[in-house]
Amino acid sequence: MLGEETNVDKAASVGNYLSLYFGQNQGVRLGESTVISRRAHARMPEKRVKGQIKILINRDAGKTYLDYVDVDQVVHIDVYHKAGEIDPRDVARAIFWALDEHFLEKDPQLQYAEEERFKMVSGYANKIFITTNQGKGLLYDLFQDVLKPYIEGEEGHDHVHILARLNREEYYLAYVIAETVEEVILASGLKLSKVRNIVHGNQKEERDSYAGYIKLPWKNFKGQNAHQLPDKENVNQLILKLAEKFGGVDEIEEFMESYSTNIFKRKGIEQQKKKWGDVEHDVEQLEELGLIKDSILGKVLTKKGLMLQDFVVKHKCELETEIRRNVRKAPSGGSGRFKKLGKVDSKTAQVEYTNRNRTVNDPDKNWSGDLAVPETIIQAKKNSFLRGDTHFTIKKQDLHFYDKKTYVPIDICLLIDASGSMAGDKRQAACFLAEHLLISGKEKVAVVTFQERSSEVVVPFTRNQRVLSKGLSTISPAGLTPMANGIMTAVDLIKNNRVKNPLLVLITDGIPNTPLWTLDAKADALEAATHIKENKIRLICIGVESNRIFLEKLSERADGALYLVDDLNKDNLINIVRHEKKTMMETHKNMA
Amino acid sequence: MIPFYKLERYEGNEALFELVMMSIVSSYVGEPLHVHAEGLRGTGKTTIMRAARDILPTIERIKGCIYNCDPAAPHCPHHKNLSAEEIKAIGVEVIPMPFLEISHSAKVGTVAGSIDLARLTDPAHPEAQLLPGIIPQAHRGIIFIDEINRLADTSPEITDILLDVMGNKPGHLQIEEAGLPVVEIPVSVSVWAASNPDEEPGPLEEIRRQLSDRFDMVCYMGRPDSLDILANMLEENSHFHKAKQANEAETAAADESKNEQYRNDIIKWAAMYEKTDLPDFLRNFIARLYIKHNLESIRAIQAMQQGAVLHSVLKNRDKVMITDVTYMIPLVLKHRVDGDTLVRMINDVDSRGSKDGILNFKGRKNKKDESDPEYFQQVARPLKDMHRGELVHTEKTLTPSDF
Ligand SMILES: [Zn+2]
Repeated sequence: MLGEETNVDKAASVGNYLSLYFGQNQGVRLGESTVISRRAHARMPEKRVKGQIKILINRDAGKTYLDYVDVDQVVHIDVYHKAGEIDPRDVARAIFWALDEHFLEKDPQLQYAEEERFKMVSGYANKIFITTNQGKGLLYDLFQDVLKPYIEGEEGHDHVHILARLNREEYYLAYVIAETVEEVILASGLKLSKVRNIVHGNQKEERDSYAGYIKLPWKNFKGQNAHQLPDKENVNQLILKLAEKFGGVDEIEEFMESYSTNIFKRKGIEQQKKKWGDVEHDVEQLEELGLIKDSILGKVLTKKGLMLQDFVVKHKCELETEIRRNVRKAPSGGSGRFKKLGKVDSKTAQVEYTNRNRTVNDPDKNWSGDLAVPETIIQAKKNSFLRGDTHFTIKKQDLHFYDKKTYVPIDICLLIDASGSMAGDKRQAACFLAEHLLISGKEKVAVVTFQERSSEVVVPFTRNQRVLSKGLSTISPAGLTPMANGIMTAVDLIKNNRVKNPLLVLITDGIPNTPLWTLDAKADALEAATHIKENKIRLICIGVESNRIFLEKLSERADGALYLVDDLNKDNLINIVRHEKKTMMETHKNMA
Repeated sequence: MIPFYKLERYEGNEALFELVMMSIVSSYVGEPLHVHAEGLRGTGKTTIMRAARDILPTIERIKGCIYNCDPAAPHCPHHKNLSAEEIKAIGVEVIPMPFLEISHSAKVGTVAGSIDLARLTDPAHPEAQLLPGIIPQAHRGIIFIDEINRLADTSPEITDILLDVMGNKPGHLQIEEAGLPVVEIPVSVSVWAASNPDEEPGPLEEIRRQLSDRFDMVCYMGRPDSLDILANMLEENSHFHKAKQANEAETAAADESKNEQYRNDIIKWAAMYEKTDLPDFLRNFIARLYIKHNLESIRAIQAMQQGAVLHSVLKNRDKVMITDVTYMIPLVLKHRVDGDTLVRMINDVDSRGSKDGILNFKGRKNKKDESDPEYFQQVARPLKDMHRGELVHTEKTLTPSDF
């Protein structure tokens, strides 16, 4: 068609350009219909000139659309088209086969390695998310006809919106994907839209622009004549949004006080960021809602902001309940985004208790346990009557026993890396995990952190939520990673407390760089790990792929398991610990 | 107990007063309405529900029928096959609408039914007979379950029974007792429940999502937040105890006349309810909410319809209005959708407009720019028709004049 140029050449060339421009924090227009970057994209309706797309350089695509914590993980490909319906399943299938064909074209040897090729393509199928105006989903799911509905107002109404987790060496695939999507669009009988030009800039619009749909009472909510309730729901939801970000009512108050006119309570933006991560978005949202404004002091709460503050103070009890309710919820994402290496087979001990609500009557079984006297007598009386006994008799078949229930208590100690790199979102995620475990479980939770040159028990084993929240609020990530020190503190804490089936959860985004006994930080951490094993403590380590080699050694040394995640976000953390707890309970069942 | 009409009403609890009334009216016409009150201790949820017992109207049943057979439509094993004459011969009696409680430590036999011990041990005439439990005995009335989250946690068996009973309107109950024939009967009961989501074992939806969804409406109770209200509550409380000692008979008479008034209202509203239907445009409106916001539960929109009509009836209106529907949105959906969806739905509805305006979803105006079909004016050439050199364009190459 186009002379000597093969698709492989074109893709490779595009891949090189993408590496170059992405590295400069830029996006590009690919061909005429497609915009590619690692950022979010938006129309620019405020401009007179139509057909422009803005690349929002302050909005990472992975963070914005997929809740990733780390930036630059995701390539964002938008292929614009004229009005009409596109089935995401068609897109998924086409991409799947296009990748297959492309790999084959690139390396003809692969035709003899069908299985390997299939594995390669399937691997990508789990890394590509597709949204069209007819639905969305992971390529892998869509390929099997599993799709989630398209929600009006989300990405994808006038374009096919694709997010692909690709690294630099794989950027060339963006070309293959874009070209394939264009074909699907044309095959669906639609025309491609020409993107006139692209611009780079910051934009207020963000993933969760709740300012856009929350209507506070003082914003002249139109339905007010209907009833009070809607306003209340709006205020509630706003608080829950803030709690999701900041942790709890106390933290929301602390955050709001950073914008009070009391200079002693005002916290600088850097200080806020260290604790809560990126707060600019929330400040923007509150500005948009008319709760914060500029003044000679800097940003301060408006009159309405003060009203909200007052509301928070007055309704603390109810709000805390609602927040706890949210914390208790299991993430909806399922258990998709982590990888487990290694297996732990330690023994678990169970606790047995009698269930007075339920009695069991099974003549074929020999029961030991508490005899349920009233039930037994009634049964015997009935059976005597039905048997036609002349006298009241109690037989074995009449016996009722109280039911027994068992459960495996698992006391959890979180060992959190509080070195500088964990500041912000990762810190928040680890704290959220601690709260979730305490609120949703029946067992005790403890938290140990390590940073600078030492480690600290910030929360001793407890079931008390106040104690936990208070301890967590003192975590302020900074400095180096003294992992050995942290492990020893956690082991001692577990040893010196009466805990049941202790599970030690190490959460880190790094590797040790501060030694404890020798000059070798890593060796010391590995040495410390043997103490975990010696004390029969079950370890799981949650870390990131780049530190895999060391963490694998560490987990092996401790006889524990390693979980690798793309991202240390709260959903991943919760899913992993839930998964592990479940495994522990099942191991128990199998051994019983 | 402080009588229903004297209980303090404030912003955080007033919805429950209405839901309780709506449920009684609906139960009276044989259409159950299940209500769940969730809230912290001290929000008065159980007090309100239990106090409602005294305002329940009366019903007619076949004389002595423990299953509360309606003489016009008998359903129990003893009476369902009898002719009108035979029933007439047994006679009819008037009883208060049933109000029974299931405690969180109840057993299956107590709830569904078990062998009748009295008859079994009758020295003269022993026989093995089934004694219907709380649920069949509450037919045409109300069952109240305090701490339903604990019940759901400790007794999955009873939860399963409740799922059947609340699954359809009317529901269905199967009573099994080893050695006796299985009894299957329809039951029409409204289930009222209360729970504190903040206490063990946590919110009902986390323990048994299905059971939580069976509740047509959930009222999230707020605590009284004004001093005046608290002062009034204290006063009422102390007044109640003193008055009781001072002049019991007089107060009782006054309370009874108030309760009688409620009963009359309930019967009047029940008659109105049977005649009122949702106008088509509101039914369409509800259907659109369902589709637009991807609601999962059909029960939710059925409850919205039932609730909106009941709400209008309670306001003595014979026409259902959009405000009746919007009022129901949080009550029907808060336990079923996430907070963002709920708030979007609430704010979506422009309830100020005329009949046509009502169907306009707010926010569309803002979206116009976003979805302007004319935004892209030119048609693009596909990548496959391009040379390598034309593939990649930067901001600079597309708008060279700016640089
Ligand atoms: Zn009967």
